[in-house]
Amino acid sequence: MNFTAVSIAMAPEHLLLAGIVTLLILEIAADDSPAALPLSVLFVAAAACAAAWLGFTGWTGAPFPGQFVLAPPAAFAKAIVLALAVPVLLMSKDDFGRGAFYPLLLSSLYGVCLLASAESFLTLFLGIELMSIPVYVLVLMGFRRPESAEAALKYLVLSGTASAAFLMGASLMYGSTGSLSLASFGAALSSPDLLARTAVVMVMSAFFLKAAIVPFHGWAPDAYEAASVPSTAYMAVLVKAGVLVAAARVFGTAHVAEPLVGLLAILPLASMVWGNLAAMRQAGLRRMVAYSSIAHAGYLFFAFLGDGPGRFQAVVFYLAAYGVMNILAFAALPWHAQDQERDRLENLKGLFHTHPFAALLIGMAMLSLAGIPPFPGFVAKFLIFKNVMAAGYATWAVLGLVGSYLGIYFYLRVIQFMFMSPREAASGHAPSRGIAMGASLLCLAGSILVAVLPASFLARL
Amino acid sequence: MADATILSLVLYLPLAGMLAIAAIPAGRDGAVRAFTLAVMVVQFLLSLVLYANFDPAVPGLQAATRLPWIPQWGVAYLIGLDGYNILLVILTTFLGPLVTAGAFSAITKQVKLFYAMVFLIQFAMLGTFVAQDLFLFYIFWEAMLIPMFLMIGIWGGERRIYATLKFFLYTAFGSILMLAAVIYLVWSLQQSTGVASFAFADLYKARLPLETQQWLLAAFALSFAIKVPMVPFHTWLPDAHVEAPTAGSVILAGVLLKMGTYGFMKLGFPLFPDATRMAAPLIAWLSVASIVYGACLALVQTDIKKIIAYSSISHLGYVMLGLASLDLLGIQGAIVQMVSHGLVAAGLFLMVGMIYERCHTRELAAYGGLAKVLPVYSVFFLILTLASVGLPTTSGFTGEFLVLMGAFNAAWKPAAVAIPLGAAVLAVTGVVLGALYMLWFAQRFLFGAERVPHGPVADLNLREKSILAILVAAVFWLGLFPDSAMKRTELAAREYQELVAGARAPAATKLTGAVPAEAAR
Repeated sequence: MNFTAVSIAMAPEHLLLAGIVTLLILEIAADDSPAALPLSVLFVAAAACAAAWLGFTGWTGAPFPGQFVLAPPAAFAKAIVLALAVPVLLMSKDDFGRGAFYPLLLSSLYGVCLLASAESFLTLFLGIELMSIPVYVLVLMGFRRPESAEAALKYLVLSGTASAAFLMGASLMYGSTGSLSLASFGAALSSPDLLARTAVVMVMSAFFLKAAIVPFHGWAPDAYEAASVPSTAYMAVLVKAGVLVAAARVFGTAHVAEPLVGLLAILPLASMVWGNLAAMRQAGLRRMVAYSSIAHAGYLFFAFLGDGPGRFQAVVFYLAAYGVMNILAFAALPWHAQDQERDRLENLKGLFHTHPFAALLIGMAMLSLAGIPPFPGFVAKFLIFKNVMAAGYATWAVLGLVGSYLGIYFYLRVIQFMFMSPREAASGHAPSRGIAMGASLLCLAGSILVAVLPASFLARL
Repeated sequence: MADATILSLVLYLPLAGMLAIAAIPAGRDGAVRAFTLAVMVVQFLLSLVLYANFDPAVPGLQAATRLPWIPQWGVAYLIGLDGYNILLVILTTFLGPLVTAGAFSAITKQVKLFYAMVFLIQFAMLGTFVAQDLFLFYIFWEAMLIPMFLMIGIWGGERRIYATLKFFLYTAFGSILMLAAVIYLVWSLQQSTGVASFAFADLYKARLPLETQQWLLAAFALSFAIKVPMVPFHTWLPDAHVEAPTAGSVILAGVLLKMGTYGFMKLGFPLFPDATRMAAPLIAWLSVASIVYGACLALVQTDIKKIIAYSSISHLGYVMLGLASLDLLGIQGAIVQMVSHGLVAAGLFLMVGMIYERCHTRELAAYGGLAKVLPVYSVFFLILTLASVGLPTTSGFTGEFLVLMGAFNAAWKPAAVAIPLGAAVLAVTGVVLGALYMLWFAQRFLFGAERVPHGPVADLNLREKSILAILVAAVFWLGLFPDSAMKRTELAAREYQELVAGARAPAATKLTGAVPAEAAR
């Protein structure tokens, strides 16, 4: 273990840790200090820059061999995830502004970063737990009604089940291969051994549960609805990103053999179909986003059907395009003092008349999430289905595309509410707060970058 | 200025216009209208330079711009003009100012957003025509839906939400399968040649097994057939047309529907030639079904907008028949018919909008004897009706006549494909039916007892007269002097024929088609 290597390779994590410690001290020293938000933005942005710098310099190495490795794609994945966290922090000003929200969120981010570099099941488990545990609290912090507590508990229990399944899988893996390294999982994927295969299924179901894949999706709509808007955005984008990056680390470049292909294709396909169908009937924005994120988790897991080297690239690129637009929509949402009112889709009616710019931003986000070109969501979806097709699963690709078609309607419905309702239908929208608008503009800039220059992202991932 | 620069300018002017509109302060509707019209006129004039500079003797792309975009996937930003798209580009830029001016009095709410959408759709349509890379084409193709969705949904009639969702979901379903086919096509090309490329010119070289071609053609054809629309995929069109504001209908009928036929001509058929030759009789029968069924439906409509909507289905059936005939005359006729229908249907929809603004109803039964009250209106209406029927000297004649010639050539002297003789004969009855429903419509509308809802009404004003005069001039220009236009498309028509017919096309087919311009006169 080399000291300089450790300090350089883990610079993003160190900066996050420094942020957590600073915020905790601040919290103890000055209760509810307003400096918490700018400080956390500063630390997360610095960590993102550090990760991007590591990526651009091409830093490669393993400060903790067998546990923690860093290569440019992972560094860029961290940079993207951390950059996505900045607008989430910014838009939290009106909901939290100060207090325990920030150290918790930074701790969770630390877990996400760890996942991108994990090389063994131990580090991976550490990352997953570090990412998840603060989120239970974040869900509860939006405590607006009794159901929040129930939803947080539901999330806690089911997420705990996933962790248990994961540990079970990891120990079976250790039992059959004698190793906890992620490479052994790749070997187990094509192993005919029953023990190894059980381990694979256990680990996969843990990921499916954490990513809310049908039929393990029941917790997501409740948890998303219970949390406050920034926490929902965090869960829908960054926690999902963490889980998928972890899955991409675990699967590595290993080829997925035949009996597993069915499991890996059918459940995500069911997620797409069910997520998109159920989203059509939702009256609340956050429940709709929850079902939409279930469908998106389906597309993301489809990427694992694709061949090895492109897998990580497809997942991270999709997460970037999906995340930036999701956060954009949340940030541009008109403010309402009452949380339930803010959530009702009906209340978006006539938004274009009162706040044209916010309506345009949300509209763009919806089209991008629906995968309509020229928005970045299209390029990301194209990449995933291109990989699936190239791996020889043409039928699955066609079914997946048709599944994604089902999602168009409910995104269009949001646009219909905002643009096609008469001026009279517009309820008294308060303008979205300046800082949240800044967050959505940040996302807009990011999404334009992704849409116009996808090549430079792809070249680095 | 180099042609490539002018083409980029023509393409991006509407986008710049859209962004500039956002800067005009709210409430200055007059300024928005004047600005949009000015930009559209400049765009049209610039495109005329492109038309004049277009060299008919040069095969392949002209005024091309090529930039690397996603080199990892073989995607390039590649735009350019060729014989396939030159006339359609001109048609789009020509209709732009007319659509803008036509909406001056009809659109009074959310004017800024409306003209921003007109600009956006203009940009997307031009982009679809000039794109020479399949990825770029697909992006423009899909992007076109968004402004149209908003246009029908915001400024449409009573059932606008239903109509616009139907429009979007129908067309998007076709597109999603086309996307699957695009991915598969490029991937299999990469498998066989080792090079990934989305450029049309490279994709034409792919030689896929027949079974693959059939699947891919089916996916492409579904998407394009929904857009054209061909029977039985046409049910979205009447709803969209009836509910759309006039400008929306004009864009829809004038340009948007041509996307489907252009797609068949530029992509669907040449990319999968073996499957196309096999399916040609089926395509011919479907085209004839569109011609006859569209005409029959038009005959029984009571809503004047629906009559013209169904007549579009019928007229575009000719385009498809011409393309399927693989006869040079038929192909040239199909191209002329596209432009001609663009002009005539746009004109008729504009005129329906003008009467609707005055009388607030589209029920045919409510009207009668307009010729006495609105003489100028009636003259223009009659001219456009006759053009739609295909009276010689109008553009409608040139297109339909050439298509029918081509169809009979392909039926009697089967070369690469054999069009069933019965289909060709039935297509002729479409001409008769076309005359029947349009003339009957004009008779009930313009002549007989005088009935003017919400009358008395004023005749056309100067703005409306100018719009229609320009359109009618274009209709006659294409009818009397088609050779200027057809000269420019001839090489493309030959290329299309060779691509689809394959090397086995006998010389006879080419000889019969050697003098298309003369035959048209």
